[in-house]
Amino acid sequence: MKLHQKSVLRFFRGYRTQAPDREGILLKKGARNTSYQRRWFILRGNLLFYLEHQADHTPLGLILLENCQVEPRLGATEPFAFTIRTPGGDGRAYKLAAENREELRAWLWALAGATWTRLAVLLRPLEAQYRELCQAAGQEPGSPPEDCGSPATPRTLFSFQELHEHFGKEIRMLQAVHRQFQEASDNGGSRSRAGGGEAGAHQLLMSGD
Amino acid sequence: MRYNEKELQALSRQPAEMAAELGMRGPKKGSVVKRRLVKLVVNFLFYFRTDEAEPIGALLLEHCRVTQEEPSGFSISFLEDPERKYHFECCSEEQCQEWMAALRRASYEFMRRSLIFYRNEIQKMTGKDPLEQFGISEEARFQLSSLKA
Repeated sequence: MKLHQKSVLRFFRGYRTQAPDREGILLKKGARNTSYQRRWFILRGNLLFYLEHQADHTPLGLILLENCQVEPRLGATEPFAFTIRTPGGDGRAYKLAAENREELRAWLWALAGATWTRLAVLLRPLEAQYRELCQAAGQEPGSPPEDCGSPATPRTLFSFQELHEHFGKEIRMLQAVHRQFQEASDNGGSRSRAGGGEAGAHQLLMSGD
Repeated sequence: MRYNEKELQALSRQPAEMAAELGMRGPKKGSVVKRRLVKLVVNFLFYFRTDEAEPIGALLLEHCRVTQEEPSGFSISFLEDPERKYHFECCSEEQCQEWMAALRRASYEFMRRSLIFYRNEIQKMTGKDPLEQFGISEEARFQLSSLKA
Protein backbone atom coordinates (compact mmCIF):
# COMPACT_ATOMS: atom_id res chain seq x y z
CA MET A 1 0.00 0.00 0.00
CA LYS A 2 1.28 3.41 -0.89
CA LEU A 3 1.10 6.09 1.75
CA HIS A 4 1.42 9.42 -0.04
CA GLN A 5 4.31 10.65 2.02
CA LYS A 6 4.28 14.22 0.76
CA SER A 7 0.92 14.82 2.37
CA VAL A 8 2.20 13.42 5.65
CA LEU A 9 5.48 15.32 5.57
CA ARG A 10 3.64 18.55 4.92
CA PHE A 11 1.51 17.93 7.97
CA PHE A 12 4.63 17.08 9.95
CA ARG A 13 6.35 20.31 9.02
CA GLY A 14 3.20 22.24 9.91
CA TYR A 15 4.34 25.01 7.62
CA ARG A 16 6.90 25.69 10.36
CA THR A 17 4.41 28.06 11.95
CA GLN A 18 2.53 25.81 14.31
CA ALA A 19 3.98 24.40 17.47
CA PRO A 20 3.46 20.66 17.75
CA ASP A 21 1.20 19.28 20.47
CA ARG A 22 4.19 17.85 22.26
CA GLU A 23 7.82 17.12 21.51
CA GLY A 24 10.83 15.83 23.32
CA ILE A 25 13.30 13.03 23.82
CA LEU A 26 12.08 9.50 24.30
CA LEU A 27 14.01 6.27 24.26
CA LYS A 28 12.77 3.83 21.67
CA LYS A 29 13.48 0.14 21.50
CA GLY A 30 14.35 -0.92 17.98
CA ALA A 31 12.38 -3.56 16.14
CA ARG A 32 15.40 -5.76 15.48
CA ASN A 33 18.12 -4.11 17.54
CA THR A 34 16.68 -4.43 21.01
CA SER A 35 18.67 -1.66 22.65
CA TYR A 36 17.00 1.67 23.38
CA GLN A 37 17.83 4.50 21.01
CA ARG A 38 17.44 8.16 21.90
CA ARG A 39 14.99 9.79 19.49
CA TRP A 40 13.29 13.16 19.18
CA PHE A 41 9.51 12.64 19.17
CA ILE A 42 6.97 15.08 17.78
CA LEU A 43 3.24 14.69 18.38
CA ARG A 44 1.07 16.48 15.89
CA GLY A 45 -2.62 15.67 15.84
CA ASN A 46 -3.11 11.91 15.81
CA LEU A 47 0.35 11.23 14.42
CA LEU A 48 3.51 10.62 16.38
CA PHE A 49 6.73 11.22 14.46
CA TYR A 50 10.24 10.31 15.57
CA LEU A 51 13.46 11.80 14.32
CA GLU A 52 17.08 10.89 14.76
CA HIS A 53 17.88 14.49 15.66
CA GLN A 54 15.66 17.40 16.65
CA ALA A 55 16.78 19.50 13.68
CA ASP A 56 16.16 16.80 11.04
CA HIS A 57 13.95 17.84 8.15
CA THR A 58 12.43 14.40 7.67
CA PRO A 59 11.30 11.99 10.37
CA LEU A 60 12.73 8.50 10.63
CA GLY A 61 9.28 7.14 11.19
CA LEU A 62 5.65 7.60 12.00
CA ILE A 63 3.25 5.95 14.45
CA LEU A 64 -0.51 6.18 13.87
CA LEU A 65 -2.19 6.75 17.19
CA GLU A 66 -5.77 6.01 16.26
CA ASN A 67 -7.18 3.10 18.29
CA CYS A 68 -3.90 2.57 20.09
CA GLN A 69 -3.51 1.61 23.71
CA VAL A 70 -0.94 3.60 25.61
CA GLU A 71 0.10 2.17 28.93
CA PRO A 72 3.00 2.31 31.36
CA ARG A 73 5.20 -0.77 31.27
CA LEU A 74 6.33 -2.02 34.62
CA GLY A 75 9.07 -4.57 34.94
CA ALA A 76 10.94 -3.13 31.95
CA THR A 77 14.71 -2.84 31.91
CA GLU A 78 14.34 0.94 31.54
CA PRO A 79 12.52 3.02 34.15
CA PHE A 80 9.64 5.30 33.04
CA ALA A 81 8.83 2.83 30.28
CA PHE A 82 5.57 2.68 28.38
CA THR A 83 4.10 0.90 25.41
CA ILE A 84 2.05 2.11 22.47
CA ARG A 85 0.10 -0.92 21.39
CA THR A 86 -1.28 -0.69 17.88
CA PRO A 87 -4.55 -2.39 16.91
CA GLY A 88 -4.86 -5.60 14.98
CA GLY A 89 -3.84 -9.05 16.14
CA ASP A 90 -0.31 -8.77 14.85
CA GLY A 91 -0.07 -5.08 15.60
CA ARG A 92 3.28 -3.78 16.66
CA ALA A 93 3.88 -2.68 20.24
CA TYR A 94 6.25 0.27 20.38
CA LYS A 95 8.39 0.14 23.48
CA LEU A 96 9.37 3.58 24.66
CA ALA A 97 10.75 5.16 27.78
CA ALA A 98 10.73 8.70 29.10
CA GLU A 99 13.69 10.31 30.78
CA ASN A 100 11.95 10.96 34.09
CA ARG A 101 8.63 10.63 35.88
CA GLU A 102 7.32 14.05 34.82
CA GLU A 103 8.04 13.36 31.18
CA LEU A 104 6.36 9.97 31.42
CA ARG A 105 3.20 11.46 32.89
CA ALA A 106 3.11 14.27 30.34
CA TRP A 107 3.58 11.92 27.40
CA LEU A 108 0.99 9.40 28.65
CA TRP A 109 -1.46 12.22 29.03
CA ALA A 110 -0.71 13.80 25.63
CA LEU A 111 -0.87 10.48 23.78
CA ALA A 112 -4.11 9.41 25.43
CA GLY A 113 -5.81 12.58 24.27
CA ALA A 114 -4.38 12.69 20.77
CA THR A 115 -6.85 10.72 18.71
CA TRP A 116 -9.11 12.11 16.04
CA THR A 117 -11.95 10.18 17.59
CA ARG A 118 -11.55 11.97 20.91
CA LEU A 119 -11.48 15.32 19.19
CA ALA A 120 -14.66 14.43 17.33
CA VAL A 121 -16.34 13.48 20.62
CA LEU A 122 -15.46 16.89 22.09
CA LEU A 123 -16.41 18.81 18.99
CA ARG A 124 -19.88 17.42 18.48
CA PRO A 125 -21.59 18.81 21.62
CA LEU A 126 -19.86 22.16 21.22
CA GLU A 127 -21.06 22.54 17.67
CA ALA A 128 -24.59 21.57 18.73
CA GLN A 129 -24.53 24.01 21.62
CA TYR A 130 -23.31 26.82 19.37
CA ARG A 131 -26.07 26.21 16.81
CA GLU A 132 -28.70 26.12 19.57
CA LEU A 133 -27.43 29.40 20.99
CA CYS A 134 -27.48 31.01 17.54
CA GLN A 135 -31.00 29.79 16.94
CA ALA A 136 -32.17 31.11 20.31
CA ALA A 137 -30.54 34.47 19.62
CA GLY A 138 -31.96 34.62 16.09
CA GLN A 139 -28.41 34.80 14.83
CA GLU A 140 -26.86 33.31 11.71
CA PRO A 141 -24.26 30.73 12.81
CA GLY A 142 -20.73 31.58 11.72
CA SER A 143 -18.08 29.22 10.43
CA PRO A 144 -14.66 28.29 11.71
CA PRO A 145 -11.85 30.04 9.83
CA GLU A 146 -10.49 28.43 6.67
CA ASP A 147 -6.99 26.99 6.42
CA CYS A 148 -3.91 28.84 5.08
CA GLY A 149 -2.43 31.76 6.86
CA SER A 150 -4.00 31.05 10.22
CA PRO A 151 -1.94 32.71 12.94
CA ALA A 152 0.41 30.47 14.86
CA THR A 153 -1.07 29.31 18.11
CA PRO A 154 1.45 30.03 20.81
CA ARG A 155 2.03 27.03 22.99
CA THR A 156 1.06 27.92 26.54
CA LEU A 157 2.90 26.13 29.26
CA PHE A 158 1.16 25.16 32.42
CA SER A 159 2.64 23.76 35.55
CA PHE A 160 1.81 20.18 36.24
CA GLN A 161 -0.09 21.27 39.33
CA GLU A 162 -2.44 23.45 37.29
CA LEU A 163 -3.07 20.62 34.88
CA HIS A 164 -3.47 18.30 37.85
CA GLU A 165 -6.34 20.36 39.20
CA HIS A 166 -8.25 19.92 35.98
CA PHE A 167 -7.61 16.37 34.92
CA GLY A 168 -9.59 14.36 37.43
CA LYS A 169 -9.64 10.66 36.97
CA GLU A 170 -6.75 10.41 34.54
CA ILE A 171 -4.53 11.98 37.17
CA ARG A 172 -5.84 9.59 39.79
CA MET A 173 -4.91 6.77 37.44
CA LEU A 174 -1.44 8.16 36.91
CA GLN A 175 -0.99 8.66 40.64
CA ALA A 176 -1.88 5.04 41.20
CA VAL A 177 0.68 4.04 38.59
CA HIS A 178 3.19 6.29 40.35
CA ARG A 179 2.55 4.35 43.53
CA GLN A 180 3.31 1.19 41.62
CA PHE A 181 6.62 2.72 40.53
CA GLN A 182 7.37 3.63 44.13
CA GLU A 183 6.70 0.09 45.22
CA ALA A 184 8.84 -1.22 42.41
CA SER A 185 11.79 0.98 43.30
CA ASP A 186 11.32 0.26 46.99
CA ASN A 187 11.59 -3.41 46.16
CA GLY A 188 15.03 -2.71 44.77
CA GLY A 189 15.39 -1.52 41.15
CA SER A 190 12.98 -1.14 38.29
CA ARG A 191 12.66 -4.80 37.63
CA SER A 192 9.55 -5.52 39.68
CA ARG A 193 7.58 -8.71 39.30
CA ALA A 194 5.98 -8.31 35.90
CA GLY A 195 2.89 -10.35 36.72
CA GLY A 196 1.36 -8.55 39.66
CA GLY A 197 2.64 -5.10 38.78
CA GLU A 198 1.48 -5.00 35.22
CA ALA A 199 -1.83 -6.62 35.93
CA GLY A 200 -2.42 -4.10 38.68
CA ALA A 201 -1.62 -1.12 36.52
CA HIS A 202 -3.66 -2.53 33.67
CA GLN A 203 -6.63 -2.90 36.01
CA LEU A 204 -6.31 0.70 37.08
CA LEU A 205 -6.27 1.82 33.45
CA MET A 206 -9.38 -0.20 32.69
CA SER A 207 -11.36 0.89 35.74
CA GLY A 208 -11.27 4.60 34.93
CA ASP A 209 -15.05 4.95 35.11
CA MET B 1 10.08 7.85 6.42
CA ARG B 2 9.19 4.51 7.95
CA TYR B 3 5.65 3.57 8.78
CA ASN B 4 3.99 0.32 9.66
CA GLU B 5 1.75 -0.85 6.86
CA LYS B 6 -0.24 -3.03 9.26
CA GLU B 7 -1.23 0.08 11.24
CA LEU B 8 -2.55 1.72 8.11
CA GLN B 9 -4.33 -1.44 7.04
CA ALA B 10 -5.95 -1.76 10.47
CA LEU B 11 -7.10 1.84 10.20
CA SER B 12 -8.56 1.22 6.75
CA ARG B 13 -10.78 -1.48 8.28
CA GLN B 14 -12.25 0.91 10.85
CA PRO B 15 -15.82 2.19 10.38
CA ALA B 16 -15.73 4.78 7.65
CA GLU B 17 -17.32 8.19 7.62
CA MET B 18 -17.88 7.76 3.88
CA ALA B 19 -17.30 4.83 1.55
CA ALA B 20 -18.26 4.53 -2.10
CA GLU B 21 -17.06 3.39 -5.48
CA LEU B 22 -15.83 6.45 -7.35
CA GLY B 23 -13.84 7.17 -10.46
CA MET B 24 -10.32 8.16 -9.46
CA ARG B 25 -7.48 9.73 -11.39
CA GLY B 26 -4.02 10.42 -9.99
CA PRO B 27 -2.13 13.71 -10.36
CA LYS B 28 0.39 12.47 -12.94
CA LYS B 29 -0.05 13.70 -16.51
CA GLY B 30 -1.76 11.15 -18.66
CA SER B 31 -3.24 9.16 -15.81
CA VAL B 32 -6.50 7.39 -16.53
CA VAL B 33 -9.71 7.31 -14.52
CA LYS B 34 -10.07 4.02 -12.65
CA ARG B 35 -12.91 2.68 -10.54
CA ARG B 36 -11.86 2.56 -6.94
CA LEU B 37 -13.51 1.89 -3.61
CA VAL B 38 -12.80 5.10 -1.72
CA LYS B 39 -13.07 5.12 2.05
CA LEU B 40 -12.78 8.02 4.46
CA VAL B 41 -11.55 6.98 7.92
CA VAL B 42 -10.70 9.72 10.44
CA ASN B 43 -8.31 12.04 8.54
CA PHE B 44 -7.17 9.43 6.00
CA LEU B 45 -8.58 8.69 2.57
CA PHE B 46 -8.01 5.08 1.52
CA TYR B 47 -8.60 3.72 -1.92
CA PHE B 48 -8.94 0.08 -2.94
CA ARG B 49 -9.24 -1.85 -6.15
CA THR B 50 -12.93 -2.69 -6.21
CA ASP B 51 -12.38 -6.43 -5.63
CA GLU B 52 -9.62 -6.26 -3.04
CA ALA B 53 -9.70 -6.15 0.75
CA GLU B 54 -6.46 -4.22 1.30
CA PRO B 55 -6.10 -0.61 0.18
CA ILE B 56 -3.60 0.26 -2.54
CA GLY B 57 -3.10 3.76 -1.22
CA ALA B 58 -3.74 6.29 1.53
CA LEU B 59 -3.79 10.07 1.59
CA LEU B 60 -3.54 12.15 4.75
CA LEU B 61 -6.21 14.85 4.52
CA GLU B 62 -4.43 17.71 6.25
CA HIS B 63 -3.72 21.14 4.73
CA CYS B 64 -5.60 20.13 1.63
CA ARG B 65 -8.11 21.87 -0.58
CA VAL B 66 -11.22 20.18 -1.92
CA THR B 67 -12.52 21.77 -5.11
CA GLN B 68 -15.51 20.99 -7.28
CA GLU B 69 -14.37 19.97 -10.75
CA GLU B 70 -17.20 19.18 -13.13
CA PRO B 71 -20.91 18.80 -12.46
CA SER B 72 -20.33 15.80 -10.26
CA GLY B 73 -16.63 15.57 -9.56
CA PHE B 74 -14.11 17.01 -7.13
CA SER B 75 -10.37 17.17 -6.65
CA ILE B 76 -8.09 17.12 -3.65
CA SER B 77 -4.87 19.12 -3.75
CA PHE B 78 -2.41 20.05 -1.05
CA LEU B 79 -1.79 23.65 -0.14
CA GLU B 80 1.91 23.69 -0.95
CA ASP B 81 1.39 21.95 -4.28
CA PRO B 82 -1.89 23.16 -5.78
CA GLU B 83 -1.17 21.82 -9.27
CA ARG B 84 -1.01 18.19 -8.17
CA LYS B 85 -4.65 17.16 -8.01
CA TYR B 86 -6.27 13.85 -7.18
CA HIS B 87 -9.48 13.72 -9.19
CA PHE B 88 -12.66 11.89 -8.18
CA GLU B 89 -15.84 11.32 -10.17
CA CYS B 90 -19.14 10.83 -8.40
CA CYS B 91 -22.38 9.49 -9.82
CA SER B 92 -24.40 12.57 -8.89
CA GLU B 93 -24.09 16.19 -7.81
CA GLU B 94 -25.58 15.15 -4.47
CA GLN B 95 -22.94 12.50 -3.84
CA CYS B 96 -20.26 14.98 -4.85
CA GLN B 97 -21.46 17.60 -2.37
CA GLU B 98 -21.69 14.98 0.37
CA TRP B 99 -18.11 13.86 -0.21
CA MET B 100 -16.74 17.37 -0.43
CA ALA B 101 -18.33 18.34 2.87
CA ALA B 102 -17.14 15.16 4.59
CA LEU B 103 -13.56 15.57 3.33
CA ARG B 104 -13.40 19.17 4.54
CA ARG B 105 -14.63 18.14 7.99
CA ALA B 106 -12.18 15.25 8.23
CA SER B 107 -9.00 17.21 8.85
CA TYR B 108 -7.70 17.10 12.41
CA GLU B 109 -6.52 20.67 12.10
CA PHE B 110 -9.91 21.78 10.84
CA MET B 111 -11.58 20.07 13.79
CA ARG B 112 -9.18 21.70 16.21
CA ARG B 113 -9.83 25.14 14.67
CA SER B 114 -13.56 24.47 14.85
CA LEU B 115 -13.37 23.50 18.49
CA ILE B 116 -11.48 26.67 19.35
CA PHE B 117 -13.95 28.73 17.30
CA TYR B 118 -17.05 27.23 18.98
CA ARG B 119 -15.46 27.49 22.39
CA ASN B 120 -14.72 31.15 21.85
CA GLU B 121 -18.17 31.91 20.45
CA ILE B 122 -19.97 30.03 23.24
CA GLN B 123 -17.92 31.81 25.83
CA LYS B 124 -18.81 35.16 24.26
CA MET B 125 -22.50 34.28 24.19
CA THR B 126 -22.85 32.67 27.60
CA GLY B 127 -19.91 33.98 29.58
CA LYS B 128 -18.98 30.36 30.33
CA ASP B 129 -16.20 28.20 28.96
CA PRO B 130 -17.83 25.05 27.52
CA LEU B 131 -14.68 23.01 28.03
CA GLU B 132 -14.94 23.47 31.82
CA GLN B 133 -17.50 20.66 31.95
CA PHE B 134 -14.90 18.32 30.43
CA GLY B 135 -12.26 19.53 32.82
CA ILE B 136 -9.87 20.33 30.01
CA SER B 137 -10.15 24.08 29.67
CA GLU B 138 -6.42 24.47 30.27
CA GLU B 139 -5.37 21.92 27.68
CA ALA B 140 -2.72 23.63 25.60
CA ARG B 141 -3.86 22.28 22.24
CA PHE B 142 -7.23 24.07 22.53
CA GLN B 143 -5.95 27.46 23.56
CA LEU B 144 -7.12 30.46 21.60
CA SER B 145 -4.49 32.36 19.72
CA SER B 146 -3.38 35.66 21.17
CA LEU B 147 -5.71 37.31 18.64
CA LYS B 148 -8.84 36.93 20.76
CA ALA B 149 -11.76 38.82 19.22
